[in-house]
Amino acid sequence: MSSDQQPLLRVRDLVVEFNTEAGVARAIDGVSFDIYPNETVGLVGESGCGKTVTGLSILGLIPSPPGKIVQGSIEFMGRDLVSLPEEELRNIRGSEISMIFQEPMTALNPVFTIENQMTDVLTRHQGLTRRQAGKAAIEMLDKVGIPIPEQRIKEYPHQLSGGMRQRVMIAMALSCGPKLLVADEPTTALDVTTQAQVLEQISLLQDEFHMAVILVTHDLGVVAETCDRGIVMYCGNIIESADINSLFNHPRHPYTEGLLNSIPRLREKKVDQLPIIPGRVPDLFHLPEGCRYGDRCNRVTDQCRQTAPLLQSVTEHTAVSCFHPVTQTSG
Amino acid sequence: METLQYIIRKLITGIPLLLGVTFISFMLMVYFGPDKTYELLGKNATQEQIDEIRHQLGYDQPFFIRYADYLKELVTLDFGHSDSTGEPVSGLLGRTMPISLALIIPGFVLGNLIAIILALTAAYHRGSWVDRLIMGFSVVGMSISFLIVIIAFQILLSSSYGLNLFPVRGWNMSTFGNYLSYVTVPTLATVFVSLGYNTRFYRAVIVEEMTRDHVRTARAFGVPPARLFYKNILKNCMIPIITRVIFSIPLVVISGSLLIESYFGIPGVGKVTFDAITTGDQPVLKAVVGMTAVLFVMAQLVTDILYRAVDPRVTLK
Amino acid sequence: MSGQSTAAIRREGLWSKAVYKFSRDRAGLVSLAIVSIYTIVALGAWGGLWATEWADVTGGKWMPVSSEHWFGTNIIGQDIFQRALFSTRTTFEVGFVVALLATAVGALLGAVAGFFSGSWIDEIALWMMGVLDSIPFYLFVAAIAFALQDNPYAMHVAMIATFWTTVARLVRGEVIKLKSLEYVEAAHAIGVPEIVIIFRHILPNTFHILLVQGTITFVAAIKSEVILSFLGLGVKEGMSWGLMISESTMEVMAGFFNNFLAASAFLFVLVMAFNMFSDALQDALDPKKV
Ligand SMILES: Nc1ncnc2c1ncn2[C@@H]1O[C@H](COP(=O)(O)OP(=O)(O)OP(=O)(O)O)[C@@H](O)[C@H]1O
Ligand SMILES: [Mg+2]
Repeated sequence: MSSDQQPLLRVRDLVVEFNTEAGVARAIDGVSFDIYPNETVGLVGESGCGKTVTGLSILGLIPSPPGKIVQGSIEFMGRDLVSLPEEELRNIRGSEISMIFQEPMTALNPVFTIENQMTDVLTRHQGLTRRQAGKAAIEMLDKVGIPIPEQRIKEYPHQLSGGMRQRVMIAMALSCGPKLLVADEPTTALDVTTQAQVLEQISLLQDEFHMAVILVTHDLGVVAETCDRGIVMYCGNIIESADINSLFNHPRHPYTEGLLNSIPRLREKKVDQLPIIPGRVPDLFHLPEGCRYGDRCNRVTDQCRQTAPLLQSVTEHTAVSCFHPVTQTSG
Repeated sequence: METLQYIIRKLITGIPLLLGVTFISFMLMVYFGPDKTYELLGKNATQEQIDEIRHQLGYDQPFFIRYADYLKELVTLDFGHSDSTGEPVSGLLGRTMPISLALIIPGFVLGNLIAIILALTAAYHRGSWVDRLIMGFSVVGMSISFLIVIIAFQILLSSSYGLNLFPVRGWNMSTFGNYLSYVTVPTLATVFVSLGYNTRFYRAVIVEEMTRDHVRTARAFGVPPARLFYKNILKNCMIPIITRVIFSIPLVVISGSLLIESYFGIPGVGKVTFDAITTGDQPVLKAVVGMTAVLFVMAQLVTDILYRAVDPRVTLK
Repeated sequence: MSGQSTAAIRREGLWSKAVYKFSRDRAGLVSLAIVSIYTIVALGAWGGLWATEWADVTGGKWMPVSSEHWFGTNIIGQDIFQRALFSTRTTFEVGFVVALLATAVGALLGAVAGFFSGSWIDEIALWMMGVLDSIPFYLFVAAIAFALQDNPYAMHVAMIATFWTTVARLVRGEVIKLKSLEYVEAAHAIGVPEIVIIFRHILPNTFHILLVQGTITFVAAIKSEVILSFLGLGVKEGMSWGLMISESTMEVMAGFFNNFLAASAFLFVLVMAFNMFSDALQDALDPKKV
């Protein structure tokens, strides 16, 4: 990606809160990042750190109640999605920004055929007739590597395997040529070979359609293989953001370093959980003063315990929120 | 072919239910039911006359023989004549059944239809004042006794103390205008009473469906909210809705109208059955009970076939 | 046994949370207060503290509302207020007996069916539920009333026989879920007798379902009582709101509404409060509910 390009998506100071029985949980606390056209950005972090919520915010899909975007802006091609009327947002969903979900087994509607669900999207956003939409849908299914698509399209989701269903989701998501694809752990529920195939399919189609991809994942290996940049989240904050080379070769945040160090060297088995760092993620109601990673950090100082570090640019494309960033790669 | 096989298999598995319902009802209503001997003979009958009439009524047979005879009647659909009026049972039911259906169907259909619309509206506005208003009214509706509703509606609509628009009692289907004037108050009462329970049930079903992943997917692809409810959600809710509707049909047909029929003096099948129980009119009872059981087995069959129609995952096994 | 204690802790958490949630539910508290007042009225009528003259002719025919006759008098000059109060006792008798026994029978048979799910015991239990659910309620009551030779408890028996099936189905489902839990399997593995497992380990964990179902059955019972009494199948001795309404139909035709209104209002307020109480209980006890 080039620095002189305008960002496609510009998220600034996003705050998302959930009203729960135990109180208000701030799931996203002041997140800012940019996505440029045609790039792939990996969004990583432990379970519950707010990756899905970030993705849902972009499409205005935070379940409300209990959730709410309380602050911040999400600018997409010049429009602020947060303040955009619901109706205009609906026109963007599925056509300019698409999202693929983690659970292929349940993400499709079980009582309608693939054809019904795909043509629904195409007729709505592209103004096609049912017949044209059917044709376009078959072409799309063919592109994502579904054999005999004209037959498969007549089937119901339960007649397809998990990998097939996820391909259908991808076909549906890309059918209107979106500028941005949010892929929320698209391969977590699949077996390793299917995982690789599905990811490859996404990369291939990304080039064809010239779209940007936000790839949410637990798997740092996937990030290394497919992404141009990585964003690391912790407890509702972004703690590091960098291009892929710096992130893997020169992590600056102690948390990122910890994550990288605990990747098994030989990636022989599927990693569906981030490697373990000693200590536990604080829950959203008992956040420590200062740096949220403080309790688990080996570089922690009094300063860290008193004030929270802000995300600071280090170079043009790297930013880190740490008072004592790692300077030399240790391993 | 596959469906036919399925239907036959399903009917066979319905036999235990059929036997259970007929057995318990037979035991209660016929075996332990009123003894008609003295009613038919008067007080001063001779032992001979008594034996004679008991033999005619079948009272002298052992229980299981009588039950087996009943099953035979059930299979051949020949229940004989009513003890009380001498009218053939088939004729009696053929005369009263249409009245009960005409009486109850409008209220039943409207009660479910309006409830589904209200439930969709409440679920659509979940958490807002619209939702709270509809659900508040549902609890109020659930808390008013059917009896009170009938009496209140009668006072308000059919008496000189109210609007006095409709006939107080009775039944007449000779013209459509007559039918409307007699069916309106019972229908309003039925709708009023069923609305609360139905709305709550349907809203719960719809709200549960709203939390499913595929609904989030639909929203992520820009489906407008109204379409989301009427297309994506409603079809998924059909299984519990069908179950509730179909399984209430046998009860509605047989006894749902009993209270209305006895209050408004309408000669429907509920009233006839009720009278048959209190007077011990065995042939009528046997026919009605058998019919109920058959209706339930049919209901099971119909729901299974309808499930298949709305949910492709269901297989007829 | 440590398995037992984890189950106990889970239970305790559920209950203390439920009490907390309930205490913050305003509608729930109001309804509880109303139900309590009715309970006191019923107990007082039962203990002879008030409504003792419900059967006596204490005034003229259809006397209007006055300080002496709060709701006026009925067609033969009995005090409507006293009769309504006395009927509260009848209602609670019916409601409690039916709710308690139907829930107990349902819990027991449901637990046994669920514990032995898949076996012939379960099959028979399910068959029984299916059969009882398929017999039209009012006809069933009428039949039982006659079979029991006008026994005053015919109505109770019929209601219990009808209402237990719902409880049993719910408990059965819950037990099938609980059965696979570790502590139950552990108890099974170390040879705790099945009957002990059902009563000590499984049934206590379905108590929240029973409580909610108990309130729902109570409401169903008192609503049915009114209709059955009206049809002449219900309360035989004493007084009930259903009998008052039945009595009032003639008065209503003559334009005298006090009897009808009093019984209706007493019934409506109690059922409404009970429904709201039941909802609040459900909200408080539902572990899934956020
Ligand atoms: N509907 C909701 N109600 C209440 N809290 C929620 C809701 N959805 C998310 N949260 C909270 O927001 C936080 C972030 O959740 P999110 O789903 O974004 O995590 P995640 O990073 O996607 O985790 P995972 O890797 O497990 O998918 C969590 O602490 C969660 O408890
Ligand atoms: Mg997630």
